[in-house]
Amino acid sequence: MRVEHWIYSLPLRLRSLFHRRQVEEELDEELQDHLHQKIEEGIARGLSPDEARYSALRAMDGLEQRKQQCRDLRGVNAIENFVQDLRHGLRMLRKSPGFTTAAVLTLALGIGANTAVFSVVNAVLLRPLRYPEPDRMVNFYISNPRLESISIPVFMVWRQQTGVLEDFAIYGSAYKDPGVSLTNTDHPETLRASHVSAGFFKLFGASIEAGRTFSDQEDVPHGPKVAVISDGFWRRRFGADRSLVGNTISLGGESYVVVGVVHDMEPTHSAFNLMLGPSLRIDTPADVWLPLQADPNSTFQSLDYRGAARLKPGVTLEMAQAATNLAQTQFHKKFPELPLIPGFEWGLESMSDAMVGNVRLAILVLMGAVSFVMLIACANVANLLLARAAHRRREMAIRAALGARRRRIVFQLLTETLPLSLAGGALGIVLGYPFLRILLAKSLVDLPRIGGQGSAVTLDWRVLLFTILATLLTSVIFGLIPALSVSRCSPHAGLMENDPRSSSGLGRKRTRSILVVLEMALSLILLAGAALLMRTFVALKGVNPGFETRNILTCEMSLNQPRFDQTSAVARLVRDGQRRVEALPGVEMLAATRELPLDQARDLGGILIEGRPKNTNQPAVDFREISARYFDVFRIPLLQGRTFTEQDTEQTPRVAVINETMAKKFWPGYPVAGSPIGERISMDLSGLMGPAESPLQIVGVVGDARDVALGSAPEPMMYILMNQCSDWFNAWDNRLLGPLIWVIRTKAEPLSLNEAIQHELRIASGGLAVGHVRAMDQVRTEATADSTFNMTLFNVFAGIAILLAAIGIFGVMACFVNERTKEIGLRIALGALPRDVLAMVVRQGMRLVVIGISIGIMGSLALTPLIASLLYGVKSTDPTVLACVAALLCAVALATVYFPARRATKIDPVLALRWE
Amino acid sequence: MSKPSDLVQGTLDLLILKILALEPLNGWAVSKRLRQVSGDTLQVSDGSLYPALHKLEQEGWITAEWRASENNRRAKFYSLTRLGRKHLEKEAANWTRLSDAIAGVLRLEEV
Repeated sequence: MRVEHWIYSLPLRLRSLFHRRQVEEELDEELQDHLHQKIEEGIARGLSPDEARYSALRAMDGLEQRKQQCRDLRGVNAIENFVQDLRHGLRMLRKSPGFTTAAVLTLALGIGANTAVFSVVNAVLLRPLRYPEPDRMVNFYISNPRLESISIPVFMVWRQQTGVLEDFAIYGSAYKDPGVSLTNTDHPETLRASHVSAGFFKLFGASIEAGRTFSDQEDVPHGPKVAVISDGFWRRRFGADRSLVGNTISLGGESYVVVGVVHDMEPTHSAFNLMLGPSLRIDTPADVWLPLQADPNSTFQSLDYRGAARLKPGVTLEMAQAATNLAQTQFHKKFPELPLIPGFEWGLESMSDAMVGNVRLAILVLMGAVSFVMLIACANVANLLLARAAHRRREMAIRAALGARRRRIVFQLLTETLPLSLAGGALGIVLGYPFLRILLAKSLVDLPRIGGQGSAVTLDWRVLLFTILATLLTSVIFGLIPALSVSRCSPHAGLMENDPRSSSGLGRKRTRSILVVLEMALSLILLAGAALLMRTFVALKGVNPGFETRNILTCEMSLNQPRFDQTSAVARLVRDGQRRVEALPGVEMLAATRELPLDQARDLGGILIEGRPKNTNQPAVDFREISARYFDVFRIPLLQGRTFTEQDTEQTPRVAVINETMAKKFWPGYPVAGSPIGERISMDLSGLMGPAESPLQIVGVVGDARDVALGSAPEPMMYILMNQCSDWFNAWDNRLLGPLIWVIRTKAEPLSLNEAIQHELRIASGGLAVGHVRAMDQVRTEATADSTFNMTLFNVFAGIAILLAAIGIFGVMACFVNERTKEIGLRIALGALPRDVLAMVVRQGMRLVVIGISIGIMGSLALTPLIASLLYGVKSTDPTVLACVAALLCAVALATVYFPARRATKIDPVLALRWE
Repeated sequence: MSKPSDLVQGTLDLLILKILALEPLNGWAVSKRLRQVSGDTLQVSDGSLYPALHKLEQEGWITAEWRASENNRRAKFYSLTRLGRKHLEKEAANWTRLSDAIAGVLRLEEV
């Protein structure tokens, strides 16, 4: 019905629109024809030609009105008016290029900045995950301390909840992907590897390029050695050779049959807040997937993996959470020996929340900040339009006097502003988007889902739609204020405008003042945010990490292979590596570790101190496996006792070194009344997390280092020697918890020795490649990347804001002086000194500034607590920051107001009194 | 002034559609036909006829075509579309129903 209607009416409308003249002629002809016939009929009835004509016209009830009625029926009137107004607007803009340029640039800044930030919001928060039915995907986590991880026994119990969930998968490493070495080749490399259960590919919707994914029969303990590889790896390394499927590749010295090739997937996890550290880590997509082959009867309780599933259709997250709680009860019945830790609860969250993590807040704050920039830009353009509107009041008054309704006038003014926004919006995209891409590419910021160097931040339909809406919205905001203001006046007042006694401009002046106050207030809030983030940045830069970062090279080596299952093999590797690398000229010393400071630390859980009762309320302890020279490489100071030496070997008693925080927390009198040296400790969960480990004797206390992130206070940390770990513990490390990390102190620029060091390490390891080569300085820079990113953007926004606000107040004050030329001239004529005139204008301007700043301060106090979690070393309501920001804004405003004020003092009273 | 609202709302549309259902006509012929069939009961001014025709054309119920009239003048002839015929049937049925109902009410005996 509707469609058929349009089949008839659309051609008509298009014809009315594009063949207007012809349609008009036809209408005229039709009506004239009617009149002719009517007149002829009248004459035939005996009327005189004039009478007949008159009667025919009368029967028509007004020919022109009827024509207009017919025109209105064409349904294209609105469009015609619109086009007319648009043309008029364009003409007006062409006539004042200065105004047009200023307005378009201002809007381009506003819309460009908004488009840029929105494109990040879109990539990170809005774009659906590229998995099948992403809305139904849930991620398993454990609350308090929050860990997005799962153990095999937990997974086995959880996956019984088939009433509400399906496509269960357990996969990856909850710590750091240990990777796997591609071996038996002239060009060894470390591959990103992930151990996954058979259900993984179904859950994440892997699309198969060749072969197949794992079968359930392959995903059993001691199952076959099979591998699925990624499309990217397959093309890069094997030239997309289809015959590879069914053949073997050598991974970590063992042969694996390649059963399939799947297309590269969006990283399965992006952000996770490991061990409460504020820094984020982005998982890169895997090159190769190996079957997890978990033992369903495992009692190994370490939370080493990630777990996820999909809600069954119609099941809500709450229902699944209830079922998961039930599963936890069953789990504790099954493992009564596990301690019940309060708050340690199983939870489910949507996969998109898990992906984005705590980045959501930072991004929304940026979006809020940038929308302030937009408001300021709107206020500025509205101000410019208002200044111009003064000249058009007569025009509008005449239009109104001729019968234009107010709605029509407002609509006309709005339409005239549309070209401004459109030009601003177009320029905004052209400027803003590349700016952001450059920023993302240069910055080391760890935003989830933005792809390599921000490649996933694209201009898709959502961003374009946003920009179009933003453009229209700005046009309405900045257009409506002057439109309402101008159209408010009565025709009479408007026509009397030139009368010096007329006061009808007062309302408009008030509108402009309010706009300036608003700009000042918004600028202050943005400046306050920028200043707080800058303070954070400076504070983070100023943090003493507790170690030296200069001249240290770090690189990683995957030991994920049977050859290194024995601790002695790793010990030998480290010894050989150390001997070879330290022989290189320019190298001072080498150590090995499992994690880097500033990067991540592993939570050991509680510890038991010999001779003390078990205390469940004591703080958690992090631990790190290192080689003897770790403290020397990082120059972490020794406070008590001794550090590790080459004499601490596999055969000598197990020893530990702890940090100062741990000493203080567990030995309250330290360093005066109590000393941990000589005390023996063991892991609380030893036995539940693998075979029982023998106790460790504390031999030394070292200074605190920022182990997790620059911004988080040091936690108790216990260092143990890699070569004193049990074989079991060592294999666990290699297989699951991460690669071995080499740290080398050099005498020269560390990266200059990269190749020589890599070469020696390859020989020492029997042909293994190293990856992820970084200077420790870079690790440190990366640790502040998020803060740098936030600060940079906020500074740009605040800079734009302050610039626009300055232009705004300049415009208003220049206008003020202009309008009062006569009055000022009179004052000067009556003996006012330049000083008095200057003071008068400055006072007038600064009054607005002070009101704006006061409102801004209140606004900041209300809004800055929102960014409290992004701050470090400064309180969100820091009075010094607010005072400085207010003073800065005042100074800028004062400098700006000075120019129109100075011009006022130069007014020649003789000319001014004749001023019209 | 007599406007279409002098008739019951929408009745003019119905009348025009019905007239055009019989044969395609130009505006003048429609106005003549209207006068013929309804006499003086339905006052349709010439003025309201053309907006009504244009409206029906916009709705897609009638379509127009320029051709020679009986006195060899070029004239705009309107004819009913398929959509218009359906509309006419529906409206005619409505009208009958409505007038029957009103007639029924008016036939009620006063007590």
